[in-house]
Amino acid sequence: MRPMMPLRHKPRQSRPASLALRVTALVGIATTLVFLVFNWVILRSLEHHFAQQDAHELEAVTTALAQPLHQLASDIASDELKQHLANAVAGHHGMTYGVYDGSGNSIYATPGPDLSKLASSKKLVNRITADDLIVWQEDQRSYRGVVVQLPADDSAASGYRIVAAMDIGFHLDFLAEFKRMLWWATGLVMCLALGVAWLAVQWGHLPIRKVNEEIRAIRSSKLDVRLDPRDVPIELAELVFAFNDMLARIEEGFTRLSHFSADIAHELRTPVTNLVTQTHVALGQPRSNEEYREILYSNLEEFDRMGRMIGDMLFLAQTENDPRNLRLSTIDLSELVRSLFDYFEALAEDSGITLGVKGAIGSIAADREMLTRALNNLLSNAIRHTPRGKSITVLLSQDEQWTTISVVNPGERIPEPDLPKLFNRFYRVDPARQRNTAGAGLGLAIVKSIAEAHGGSVAVTSSELVTRFDLVLPHLRQ
Amino acid sequence: MGHAMKLLVVEDENKTADYVRQGLMEAGFVVDLARNGLDGHHLAMGETYDLVVLDVMLPDVDGWRIVRALRDAGKQVPVLFLTARGGVDDRVKGLELGADDYLVKPFAFSELLARVRTLLRRGSAPSQPDRIQVADLVLDLARRRATRAGQRINLTSKEFALLELLARRQGEVLPRSLIASQVWDMNFDSDSNVIDVAIRRLRAKIDDAFNPKLIHTVRGMGYTLDAPDDAPSP
Repeated sequence: MRPMMPLRHKPRQSRPASLALRVTALVGIATTLVFLVFNWVILRSLEHHFAQQDAHELEAVTTALAQPLHQLASDIASDELKQHLANAVAGHHGMTYGVYDGSGNSIYATPGPDLSKLASSKKLVNRITADDLIVWQEDQRSYRGVVVQLPADDSAASGYRIVAAMDIGFHLDFLAEFKRMLWWATGLVMCLALGVAWLAVQWGHLPIRKVNEEIRAIRSSKLDVRLDPRDVPIELAELVFAFNDMLARIEEGFTRLSHFSADIAHELRTPVTNLVTQTHVALGQPRSNEEYREILYSNLEEFDRMGRMIGDMLFLAQTENDPRNLRLSTIDLSELVRSLFDYFEALAEDSGITLGVKGAIGSIAADREMLTRALNNLLSNAIRHTPRGKSITVLLSQDEQWTTISVVNPGERIPEPDLPKLFNRFYRVDPARQRNTAGAGLGLAIVKSIAEAHGGSVAVTSSELVTRFDLVLPHLRQ
Repeated sequence: MGHAMKLLVVEDENKTADYVRQGLMEAGFVVDLARNGLDGHHLAMGETYDLVVLDVMLPDVDGWRIVRALRDAGKQVPVLFLTARGGVDDRVKGLELGADDYLVKPFAFSELLARVRTLLRRGSAPSQPDRIQVADLVLDLARRRATRAGQRINLTSKEFALLELLARRQGEVLPRSLIASQVWDMNFDSDSNVIDVAIRRLRAKIDDAFNPKLIHTVRGMGYTLDAPDDAPSP
């Protein structure tokens, strides 16, 4: 079992609310809001409708009362007038009305609620609409009423006020009942909506759980598994793509790492086996001091080579584990190349190779030791592969973003498929090539890791005529 | 060096400690060995040494504390520290604390010996001779000229620097890495045979036409420049 990475806990920060909860809550709130608005609109229009109805009825009553008042003579006896008024209104149940003179004295009033207060109201109308009605409560009953001012003319009823009111308890009861029913319905619908939303969310999350299970089934031994983006809803496809990409990167790193371990074992096993065999043979019989010394020397050379290889691997591991551990300084590249030429001068002359540099550029910021090492490896590689009598050129160029250092050498064409592998650890184009001359096969891998530690890259191209290595570095700030 | 130099080695790993002591003793030094930090601390503070070789990773009292204690007590004895980690932090910390040089484990003994000698020389006579003679080879350091048996030898500036390094450290075996670092300022192991080629070319100029041969290859270790005692020049 691989060790699990512990989840990183940020202190005092709770987990965001679950998706199911969020969706359910949203659906619940939305449904409730819609229903509340709906209820309000219905109740309002019902109330308005009732008020309108009442207004019509009150209008009929007041019109019926005004009629006899206008036609009667001003000196009519009050009893007769009352009789007239009592008869004027027929067929209207639950209606209370009264007539008052200009100064508010009661001329006539039906039994029922006291309308005199209403008579002195300032809210007088000529035509009755639903908005003019006055609503009040008396003796635990609700009334809706209106005051009509008769025009001032020469009739006996000049300046009289007619007050009419009706008991609206029936309407209110109906409304209350209706309201209660609406609330129940609202509650019920909300619960239903929440339940459906919850189910929908659970159902909607099924593909996530399925993907989850598939991911759980991935083991380091089968990192080549990929999730099929066609198996998931379109919303999850992006996630699946991203996951597959991540898996591909992990697989690549994992493969490289396991190859690397295998390579290390292989590269170390050969010299160790040699050493062991050699020592066995040496100890097999008594030998002269001279022979022992020779064996020790030979062993020493082998140890030395192993030591260098381990040192290189350690350097690679450190650079890759902590790529930002750079000690940047300002470096005059032309000068650095010249000092490297100085270093390689004897070797190059010996091999009949000339070294040249082209292009002048400004200083760059880089880790001096690392950059020197990278260029050293590139140059020593170029010298190894350049035929006698030819020349190696270092090209320096720069644009706004990148500085490119190219090492160009004439030599045998490197087959196209081998090019990207050149920077792999322990990779040698010719497998039969002696370990002694080609070093440990880590030189170019080190160049690559140094370039990447600087945020740059390496590239190689090869034609019939020349092979060219590019070391590309970004402009870093110190 | 008139008297034998006295060194203290503080190293807890037995095998390393033994071979370092043996190697240093065979190189002509008097060596005290402390196998733990406490003994090391005690010896370093109590005795007088010409140089201390100090492993910083000790199980009890770590190397840093010993360096600090030495410096706090005003002892200016040169300290060469050994670190297993190649980390920058260790190097910087050691040098800040007042150590004089460091070596990253695992190291070649020849490298250690070369550095020990460098430090000891730095401590003693700082006299800069303007002329070095080895047998009939004469280096005029001021004018940067070399003559062998009276004949002027033409050397490039790097060849002269290489010859000067060998001559100044006459009789010492200089590892390739030390040569690369001192002459060309290349502070890493190169897998190319640049140093071998450079030595071969130098040899062709100063040794091929003359006797005795002065530059010697010590197999597996490096190069040395020395006048053989048993074969006096004719």
